[in-house]
Formats: sequence, structure tokens, C-alpha cells
Amino acid sequence: MALANQPAIDAINLLNCSLLQADFATNRFAPALAEALPTVQLLGDSLMRLQYTLRPEAAWDNGRPVLATDVAFTLKLMFCPGLPNERARSDYSFIREVLIDPKNPRRFSLVCTSQSVEYVQASGDFFVLPEAALDPKSELRAFSLAELQRRPASDKAPPAVLQALARRYAAATPGQTPARLPGCGPYQLVKWEKDRSLRFRRKPGWWADRVRPRPFVLEARPAQLEYAIIPDAATASLALQRGDIDVFPQMPTREFIRLRQAPTARAALNFYTTASHDVVIAGFNTRQPPLSDALTRQALGRCFDAAGILQGSELGEGRRTVGLISPADRRNYNDSLAPVPFDPAGAVALLRRAGWRRGATAEAGWQRNSAHGPQLLRLTMRYRTDEPLFATMALQFQAAAAGIGVPVRLLPTESGNFSEALHNGEFDVYVRALRGNPFMFNFTSFLHSQAVGAGNTTGFGTPESDRLIEAIAAASTVPHRAQLLRRFQTLLQREMPLVPLFFRSNHVAAQKRLTHLYPTSLKPGFAAMAIDEAPPSTSP
Amino acid sequence: MAWLALLVLVAVAAPALPLPYPPHTLDLAHIAQAPLGPGRHWLGTDGQGRDVLSLLVFGTRTAVLLTLPAALLAAIIGALLGGAAGFWGNRAHVGLAYWALAVGGVWWALRLPAPWLGLAVGAAGLASAVVGGPWRLTWRLPLDALVMGGAAALDTVPRLVLVVALAASVGSISASGLLALLALTSWPTSARLVRAQMQRIRTLPFVEAAQAAGMSTGHIWLKHAIPHAIKPLQTLFPLSLARLLGLESTLSFLGIGLPPEVASWGRLLASYRQEPTAWWLFLFPSIMLTISILSLYQLTKMRK
Repeated sequence: MALANQPAIDAINLLNCSLLQADFATNRFAPALAEALPTVQLLGDSLMRLQYTLRPEAAWDNGRPVLATDVAFTLKLMFCPGLPNERARSDYSFIREVLIDPKNPRRFSLVCTSQSVEYVQASGDFFVLPEAALDPKSELRAFSLAELQRRPASDKAPPAVLQALARRYAAATPGQTPARLPGCGPYQLVKWEKDRSLRFRRKPGWWADRVRPRPFVLEARPAQLEYAIIPDAATASLALQRGDIDVFPQMPTREFIRLRQAPTARAALNFYTTASHDVVIAGFNTRQPPLSDALTRQALGRCFDAAGILQGSELGEGRRTVGLISPADRRNYNDSLAPVPFDPAGAVALLRRAGWRRGATAEAGWQRNSAHGPQLLRLTMRYRTDEPLFATMALQFQAAAAGIGVPVRLLPTESGNFSEALHNGEFDVYVRALRGNPFMFNFTSFLHSQAVGAGNTTGFGTPESDRLIEAIAAASTVPHRAQLLRRFQTLLQREMPLVPLFFRSNHVAAQKRLTHLYPTSLKPGFAAMAIDEAPPSTSP
Repeated sequence: MAWLALLVLVAVAAPALPLPYPPHTLDLAHIAQAPLGPGRHWLGTDGQGRDVLSLLVFGTRTAVLLTLPAALLAAIIGALLGGAAGFWGNRAHVGLAYWALAVGGVWWALRLPAPWLGLAVGAAGLASAVVGGPWRLTWRLPLDALVMGGAAALDTVPRLVLVVALAASVGSISASGLLALLALTSWPTSARLVRAQMQRIRTLPFVEAAQAAGMSTGHIWLKHAIPHAIKPLQTLFPLSLARLLGLESTLSFLGIGLPPEVASWGRLLASYRQEPTAWWLFLFPSIMLTISILSLYQLTKMRK
């Protein structure tokens, strides 16, 4: 239920199906398990009812049909205490009730708490899990969704039924052995060598083979998909050139451009560049007293040379940004704001305004007195070791901060430990990339004060920002949402719990014989299930 | 010899040298640029846009300021432990007061449960040692077995693996922490040499003469025996330096030990992995390492 990273989500995508899935051919959401996009019915002025019907062909591996009861079970599971479902809890709390049609077990309605345009798509974007596998006696049906939602996540003594369900889920260890929790997706996991490779085989009689005409989201052409885990980009690039791997997604820009200019690589490979929704950000731990005020954060934000890093590390391929919304999204991007400049002199002035004073000696750094005693401005910065971009950013920030007398200690961290360190608040500043998409503008899980301690790593949250985040999620029209999003970008730039620096480009290199790769700005950058192989050329 | 002298000179004078770029300034306009290209980077830049020449110079400083003290410290620790083990063997008797002092000190240093208890035992031992007191009894100390056992234990795990494991267990360590780590894991060779030499010296007539003259054992050991026993270290020292230089570079290559902003030849070599076409990131630090280690071996030959 809790997925660590994008590759994990990509892998789970092969095993499971959602009601709606992103269509890489059109860059829109399209019905997958559902027959069609939901019909929308507004109830009064604050509720919305979305009606879905599941495809009659949809079935689990054992032949049992996928039914509305499975959807209801999955939604309830998201609110079952004792499971790793913090993110799901905040993302899907807008669904209040699942009403199953007594006449048609494949038809159901979701009652949503507001009339948000976003909920229409978000309501179908979760993997549906089989009730029979986790709750064979259907005991969860005794609980209503609203009842589970009211139960706090930290409930110490939940009813025995819920405890047993959490135990069954833990025993299935879906994170380590996804094969134990059957899915209705097109592939089965046949081999997993930890940190080396994952191999998936297409199910011989997958239910969607009977769907006519078959929509793009239900395409699954390759008979076998193998993912090689190669942490080092240079090694992965060599493997691609040798033909050991067919596709290299999210290739580092410098390597991509170098390969694209090499004649031998150009003869064997196709190169695709698309915009992405991955934004590179720096985040501050606002719970640390020296970083608790916006002025200090604004000052430190001016120590990032975003333009220089974009030019130097990404060779200019990418776009500066003022916020978490891509500049390509003209409707929602706040173009009246200017990106945070690289301005150490301005940073010094802001630090002084925040009450900091330079010590008598150069080594003394910046100090200020607060209600809780004297404070020193010394920072610890974390970044992931596996991408050179983050090391460049960290060194650049450290040098710029040292220039204005702020000492920064760098803590390069292995990617597994990185998420944990962020989660535990063991940092002052971090740099990372956030993977976004053009469909969802729900910032609750990582910027709302309710998510502090879960997805909200910066610890930021004011009543004003919380209200705005909730209003964005609940906005009922696209123009109104755009207006709120623009206000949110202004607020984020003023409060600066994080500094959005630039959006990266998505680079994919693939063997020439592959066709139907559909490079896209959506995650993961190409459609693995749509790939086909061109027949071998017969010309000499 | 001239090369080594030059290295030490560069290491000491690094901050004052007229380098076109300081080592931590990122030139984002010239990332991974070949030598003699635009922007006055005579030896090119690395994948982060840092000047290779200045990284080499400050890498020399790190190498010298880390390996030289570490080798010296290891030699001193080895000489003291090996010298004591060879001189007293397993026969030394130590007063209970000193036992109490040592046990209390170790107890407190290792933060065993109730560290104050360690302090109390240590203080009682100290008081007893100073004023005499009731603990006049002695207890045999198997010094030789302890030192040789410690050396053997350190040698059972390959040095690199041991240092990597220790460095990884504490996360990021500072330069002084790494220095201590290198010294504390590198003393066994010098300890063995000094111990062997001491066992020979112990039976020589001049030691016996000093004992007959009524000099205290501690005095004989420190003033007369040790200066003779450490002679073999003169040959060993350059070898130990070469080994530590290699170890430090390997650790930096693996990204363990030194903080990321400290320039080091090993880290420069490692950055070649991220930029496989940037041959200058491999060539220059390799040359520095090769010449330095060969010079140290040559120094050993001269000593012979």
C-alpha cells in the first residue's frame, strides 16, 4: 500500500489494475477496469456522486469476476488501522461512501465530500485489490467506509476483525512478495533477484484480451518484461550500448547528450526527449528553530544557483519554475511570479531582517537571540548519493552559504536511508526531485499540517496554507482551481518551506528495433506495456 | 625523495598557492571540461565543475595531513605496545590499584551501564595508587598475550573491510575521526616488529647491566631498550605510509570516510565513474598516487 518510489509503482502497475489509468497515447486518464469515465451527479452544493461500472470481462487470476465489493473493500482497507496507508488515507479521504447497485454487482457509486473537478479522475486512480484473498469471510463489510475514516490511524486497540485483517496483510508481505496478493493486471512476477532484476511474464489468458476494441490502457504486448536494476548510470549506459538492455528511461542528461552525439550509438539507438513533471526542489526542516521563520528560509533559498545548475548539470534542458506546477501548464502556472534568484547579497540582507547578527569572527557565523535562547545558523544538508545532480546542488549551496558565513555540513545518503532520514526529520535542508503529474493538484499528503510526520517532510503548515490546500482539492471548476493554484504558488514562495528550482526533461534511449514506445511527459516516461518489436529488416 | 619533499611543500603551502580557482568553487559553466579548455582550467574540471588542478593540490594536502600523522600515530602505538609486550612478556605483575584504575577507565569510556560506577572504581584505584592504601596485592598481567591477541584480531579481518565497516557504522566521520581510525587499525605490523626486536634486546648485556645497577624497570625500558627496539620502524615507516595512502584513496574512491567537500585523489578517481569520457579525472590523480607510492618504496630501499 505504501510504495517507496517510482520504479516500485511501475512494477506494481504491471500486476494490478485501477478503475482509470493514464493513457500515454493521449496524455489523459482513460477507463481501465471501469467501462467508462464515471458519470457525475452533483448532490446539493457540496456533495458529488460518481457512478462507475466495471467491465464485464474484468476477472482475477482464479476466474472470479472483479466486482464492486472488491472496490469497496480496497477503499476500506486504506483506512484500516495498523497498515502502511498514511498516504492513501490523506489522498482518498474525499470518498465518503461506496454505494453498490443491488441489481448489478459491477455497478457502484462513490459519494465524494465536495464537487472537485479533480476528484472525478482521482476517484479511479488506485489499485483494486481482491477481497477474497485478504478477507475471505467478508468481515470488513460490517464496517462502513465513513466509520473506518473516523477511526484515528493511531488507534491502539482496533476491533479484532481489523487487527486480523492487518495481520493477514502483513503476512502476505505484498511489498516483498507481490505474487502472494493476486492482481488483475496483465503480468505475473516470475522472478525477483533483490537489487538485481525483476522478471514479469504476461498472463496467457488475461481478461482484457477479450475486450473489443481494446483501449490503449489495456494494451500489454510484450510476452515478458525484465527490469534490470543498475544503480550506476555509466554502467547502465554501457549495458544499453552493448544491447544487454533495450530501454534506458530517465537517463541522466549529460550521458544522454553524449550518447546522442556518438555515431555508433546513433546508429543503434533511438533518442526521445519530452518535458516531465519532475521538479527539483530544496526543502527546509521548518521544525528546526533557526529555520522556523520565512525570512531565514527566503535568505537560504537565494543561495541556490538554479539557473547555473540547470545550465551546467542539465545542459539547459529543463525549465526554471516558480512553484510545483510545470511552466508548461499555462492555465495553472503563476507566471506573474519571478523564480527565486541566486542572490547571496540579498540573502545577507534577509538574514539581518530575520534578526541574525554576524559573530565577531568569521568562524562565529550568524547568531540570534530568541525566546528559547541563543540560536546558531549551522545547517546539515542531505541528498541522495546515486545522482550526481544532487551532489552538484549540495556543493553549490555549501559554497554559496559559506560565502555569506553560513556553515553547511553535507550528508550524502544512500537512497533507502534518505527517505527514512527525511521522514524522521534528521536534516535541516535537503535536495531531491518530486515526481508530479498533470492530473492531480492535491498537496495534502506532503504540505498539509495534518501530514506532518507522514509525507510532509518539511513540517510546514499554517492555517492559511491548510485552507488553501483544502480549497484547491475541493475546487469545483477548472478556472477557480487555477486561481487558487496561483495563490498557492505565491504563498509557497513567500513562506518558502521548499524552493522549487527547475523542471527536468525526461530522456529515454531505446534500441531502434523497438516500436510503440510512446515517450511521454507522464511517469515513467514511456509505455512499457505498449512496446512492440519491429520485424527484422530483410533488406541487405 | 625530491618528489616527496615537493608533496609536503605543496600540502603545507596549498592555501597560499596562486591557483586560478579555489577547490570548492563550482564553475557551472564548465562542467567536465577537458584540460587547457576555456576558463583557465589547466587540468580540466570534474563532473561538478570543480577545478582538477586545485583538487589535486588540496588532495595532496589531505593525503599528507592524513596519512603522515596516521602513520606516525600507528608507529607510536605499535612501538609502545610491541615494546612493552616484548620487554615484560606475560610475566609483569601489576598492582590491584592500577587494575582498578584501568577497569574503571575502560568501563567509563565504553559507556557501560552506570558509567559513574566505572568512574568511582577508577578514582578508588587512582587514590590507592597515589597514597598506597590497602591494595598492595599484585596480579599478573599477560601483556604479551593481550597485545598479540589484539594484533591478531585486527589482522583476521582485511584492513579495508574493517575500516569500511567501522566508518559505515558511524555514518559520516570527520577527517580527524578517519585519522584515528586509520591509526588504530594500522599498528599491528609495527608492534610485531618492535616486539621481536625487544625480545632480542631484553637479553643483551647492557640491559642486564642496568638492572644490576639498580635502575627501575620502567626507566630501563624507556631510556635504554625502546630506542634500540624501534630501529626497524625506520624501514617500515615509508611502507606504512604507502599502504595508508592507498587505503585512504580507496576509501575516498568508495565514498566512505571523508566528508564530500574534502578534496582527495581517491574521490577524484571516483568521479571518473560518473564521467567515463573524462580521462583527465583518471589520469592525473593516478599519476600522483603512482609516483608517491613508488617514491615511498624507493625510500625504503635507500634506508636499507
